[in-house]
Amino acid sequence: MSLDPTLDALPARAEGFWNGRGMRRFRRHKLAVFGAVTIILMTLACVIGPWLLPYSDTFIDIRQRFAPPFAGPHILGTDPLGRDILARLLMAGRISLAVGFCAMVLSMGIGIAVGVAAGFYEGVIGAALMRFVDAMLCFPTIFLLLAISALIQPSVPSIVVLIAMTSWMEVARVVEAQIRSLRTREFAQAAVAMGSSNMRIMVRELLPNAIAPIVVAATLNVAHAILAESYISFLGYGIQPPTPSWGNMLENAQSYLTSAPWLAIIPGAAITLAVTSFNFVGDGLRDALDPRMDLP
Amino acid sequence: MTKKSDGSVTSAFPMPAIHRRDMLALGAGGLLAASGFSNARAQTKAVPPPPAKPTGQVVVGLSQEPTAFNPLMPGIEVDETIWMQIFNTMWVADPKGNLIPDLAVEIPSEANGGISEGGLAWKVKLRPGVTWHDGTPFTAEDVKYTLELINAPGFKARTRIGHAFVRDIKVTGPLEISWRMEKAYAPYLALLSNTFIVPKHILEKAADPNTAPFNQTPVGTGPFKWGTRTPGDNIQLVANDKFHGKGPYLERAVLKYVPEQTSLYAQFRTGQVDLIIGTGIPANFYAEAVKLPGRKVVKIPSASLEMLMPNLEHPVLKDKAVRKALYASLNKQAIIDIIYYGLHIPTESFSPQDSWAYNPNLPKHVYDIALANKILDDAGWKRSGSGTRMKDGVPLTFAVSTTTGAALREQAQQLMMQDWAQIGAKMTINNMPAAVIWGEFYTRSKFESLIVGTAFRTVIDPDPAARFASDAIPAKSGAGANQMQWANAEVDQLLKDGQTTFDQEKRKAIYWKLQEIAREELPILPIFQYAPVEGYKEGLIGYEPNVNARQNTWNMGSWYWAR
Amino acid sequence: MSGFLLQRLLQAILLLLIVSMIGFAILHLAPGGPLSQFAAGGEMNQEDLDRIIEQLGLNRPLPVQYAEWLWRMLSGDWGLSYRDQQPVLHIIAGHLGPTLELMVSSTLLAMLIGAWIGIIGAVKRYSLFDSIATIGTMIALSIPTFWFGLVVIYVFSVGLGWLPSGNRFTIGDGSFLNRLHHLVGPCVVLALVSTAVWSRYMRSSMLDVINQDFVRTARAKGVPERQILMKHVLRNALLPMITITGLHVPSLLSGALVTETVFTWPGMGRLFLDSISYRDYPVVMGILMFTAVMVLLGSLLADLLYGVADPRIARSGR
Repeated sequence: MSLDPTLDALPARAEGFWNGRGMRRFRRHKLAVFGAVTIILMTLACVIGPWLLPYSDTFIDIRQRFAPPFAGPHILGTDPLGRDILARLLMAGRISLAVGFCAMVLSMGIGIAVGVAAGFYEGVIGAALMRFVDAMLCFPTIFLLLAISALIQPSVPSIVVLIAMTSWMEVARVVEAQIRSLRTREFAQAAVAMGSSNMRIMVRELLPNAIAPIVVAATLNVAHAILAESYISFLGYGIQPPTPSWGNMLENAQSYLTSAPWLAIIPGAAITLAVTSFNFVGDGLRDALDPRMDLP
Repeated sequence: MTKKSDGSVTSAFPMPAIHRRDMLALGAGGLLAASGFSNARAQTKAVPPPPAKPTGQVVVGLSQEPTAFNPLMPGIEVDETIWMQIFNTMWVADPKGNLIPDLAVEIPSEANGGISEGGLAWKVKLRPGVTWHDGTPFTAEDVKYTLELINAPGFKARTRIGHAFVRDIKVTGPLEISWRMEKAYAPYLALLSNTFIVPKHILEKAADPNTAPFNQTPVGTGPFKWGTRTPGDNIQLVANDKFHGKGPYLERAVLKYVPEQTSLYAQFRTGQVDLIIGTGIPANFYAEAVKLPGRKVVKIPSASLEMLMPNLEHPVLKDKAVRKALYASLNKQAIIDIIYYGLHIPTESFSPQDSWAYNPNLPKHVYDIALANKILDDAGWKRSGSGTRMKDGVPLTFAVSTTTGAALREQAQQLMMQDWAQIGAKMTINNMPAAVIWGEFYTRSKFESLIVGTAFRTVIDPDPAARFASDAIPAKSGAGANQMQWANAEVDQLLKDGQTTFDQEKRKAIYWKLQEIAREELPILPIFQYAPVEGYKEGLIGYEPNVNARQNTWNMGSWYWAR
Repeated sequence: MSGFLLQRLLQAILLLLIVSMIGFAILHLAPGGPLSQFAAGGEMNQEDLDRIIEQLGLNRPLPVQYAEWLWRMLSGDWGLSYRDQQPVLHIIAGHLGPTLELMVSSTLLAMLIGAWIGIIGAVKRYSLFDSIATIGTMIALSIPTFWFGLVVIYVFSVGLGWLPSGNRFTIGDGSFLNRLHHLVGPCVVLALVSTAVWSRYMRSSMLDVINQDFVRTARAKGVPERQILMKHVLRNALLPMITITGLHVPSLLSGALVTETVFTWPGMGRLFLDSISYRDYPVVMGILMFTAVMVLLGSLLADLLYGVADPRIARSGR
């Protein structure tokens, strides 16, 4: 039900996470390894790269504007203000990856909290929370993103919050299902019998046993968040200049599609590569953690 | 997209980078400008005659969708493209600024007795033989009804500026009307040139004029009648063969909504739309567009001004020295030449240069970083360790806001940022979606500064009282549109004099003085006067840009195709 | 069955109520408002703006406005658009056609291609085709739709000149062929994600069925492989796929909005964007409620069919 339909296919139940078999399967999964390596390389490039480049991402050199890629000192060319696209791409990568990661952490936080609470307190609270989740899922993601983003003042933190607010519901659903099934198990019943507090049971007993699908969801959520950032930016409500992000590098690319197509192609390719990598890893993790699932 | 008329396909546009570099080498921003205007003139030679009866159709491309069809209710500029075809006003302004009678037979003035008692009594004679689209004759009752409807308490009138002073409307004959003004108000003549007359016999039958069916299927006296509307796509108008004026010569007019300027331009190239008006052709396509075969592309005059609007209550921007320094270090020419491709016209005044009230003798802006630094040094703004100046513990920082997604403005912002950093002024960007920025943020003066394109006049009258008078600050009095919160006693007096003086030469002197003060005090930092690019297919006769009309479909009734 | 339906209906009404509250709150609590567009023009003074706010009733307390909106909604009056004074339902109906055209055509395309890829992938598991398809679907799920749209326009409209760069048809033409020509680009772009989703589910659904007893029995009886595939496997594997279509409605709507923007398609997505930026509250609320109903119908349909289908088959399809 999201931008990223792979989330719908989360396993309902999974084995322990860090056991040797899972990791072996994960490593065997070539695509997942490819994805992981790509993510690491991209992250390193974005962190270190800007220090090595002779150009700053914000330095405007109007005489150099619209330099095409691979045809001069600017390897990937320049943008409408004559800024080096490679430098911008790497700085934008920092922002986009950070947005993806922070939004993931925040949305996982909300999703897990709601999911655990709803799964643990069955009755009225659980039902009310899950109805709220259902209601939020009735909005197509883009509609919700747009409705809210048209209304806030765009900045990096507000975009992170915005994306998190629209992507925690799937996680809540998955966690809720896990917790509901776990809480009837012996170990949970035993903890109740020993008089542990509710909070302790939720955090110390139930949650660690639901970690596998959470890890999978987290990976896929990063991919979702990076995509979401680019959608918001494309529609003009994203992170504002001069801060570059992969999404806002694409924002005005449509006007230059005929004269300077690289403005559209380069950041789009970066987004696709990053999102594909995270999806590969998420998929690989799912395979590794739930041998029964036979999704590609 | 790049399909040529002969069916062959070219790879893409010429690289704009090369063009611009050449232009810079020549130092010629004005080169393109000259060629643009000459195109407009070329049209006048050997004009074929109009057809005997309405023939053919024209497809007008718009990048916004007209949605409001009652010309007295709230609407935006693009809605007027429709109003101008369906309805008429008592008089209209021609490109030179002269008022031409339309539903009236003459323009009331002190000379012909139409305006008397120092502007308090007005009398208008109306044109005989005009009929509404449904055949009902047009009379003075319609004018009376229109003016009364605007002031009717429950009616969602767009604006009551000027109309609120009208009292004692009397129909003195089938085609004669008179009224009194509560106070002398010279701009009212101009306001009436934008007040479309609506039919009494239809609207008075509606239970609520706000929701009358008329608002969806308007009936007027104009050259075109309402046809059909496909929401989100197009509106079709058909010729009114009983029109009282020249034309119409076209059988049908299609107003096509293409929501994105680049796509709209693409459709103009391929010939899917016959002309682009309003927001026009994006600046970055201008150089290419002038070379399109079979298309005429013209720079049109516009009364809109691009400016930096400071909030004069802001702790930093309220200092005149800061504004002067910022203005001196604003690289106007770079913004115009590079970001706007040399299209627009640098200006020093809030008044459009085409207006009779424009003062051409204002000091010219000079881009001078050293001067800007000196102004700030003299005013006591000292450089601090970080490079940002300080005075009395206040750092020289401020935010510039504009609408998100406005690509060229965002580029201009980033250029300003770099320039102003050189004089120790730290500018930040704080852009917002249109619906947010033009809400209370703007109207209640919550901004620090804005980049905005707007006009400082009352329709075509040079009176800027609503924008400059100290009693027109919405954040303080809940009235007016002086969002920068300028308060200047001398200006207030000049504005009052301007409104109550009917003699043009005397008014001119008043507004010249006003422009001098504004240039000195810099309540706004003028950047340029817009010269948007419009284009039409070769063979379309009659299209004439008009700085005094809000849309260049103002004379669509007299358009036709050369056979 | 009727008890189940009644329960679902009550649940749906409750959900719609919550949806309307969330939507209403988000819209009205945000800064700005429907008058912003007029303020920017500079033609209207503050007196005019304030008067119209009052005439629209927008200065009243929010709960009062919500109650009034809800009451009208329940009596079938979805309100009038601020922007063009037309009934909201009328406006939605006017934009529904193009969106449905796009959604239905792209769903059909995605079903055909997706099912084909999924079937071949399952039958020839771990083959080169399967591997490429696996990678391809994953990339398809990762490409930003709008960017793919831009690339399609760049290649097929700007570069090759095969496709128009937007619009639903050429004015003054509008023949079937002309419409089809304009539909190709947006339809393919919108179908990309659905195709990937379909092929992934189709593959796993097929594998589930292939491994079941009745297939093995048929195989043991010596029924030709092709016949097993067409008669037994495909029929059973396709059933749960229908539920996917139902659950896919929201992401299809999201995709349609973006695709419509890129290809200037005059549908609901375009309307939603315009209405959001004009702060046309009644229309935005109308679209939100309308899509919520569509989403709920989609999931109800999915649930009904899910119940009809063999639960063992359906499990992996969920």
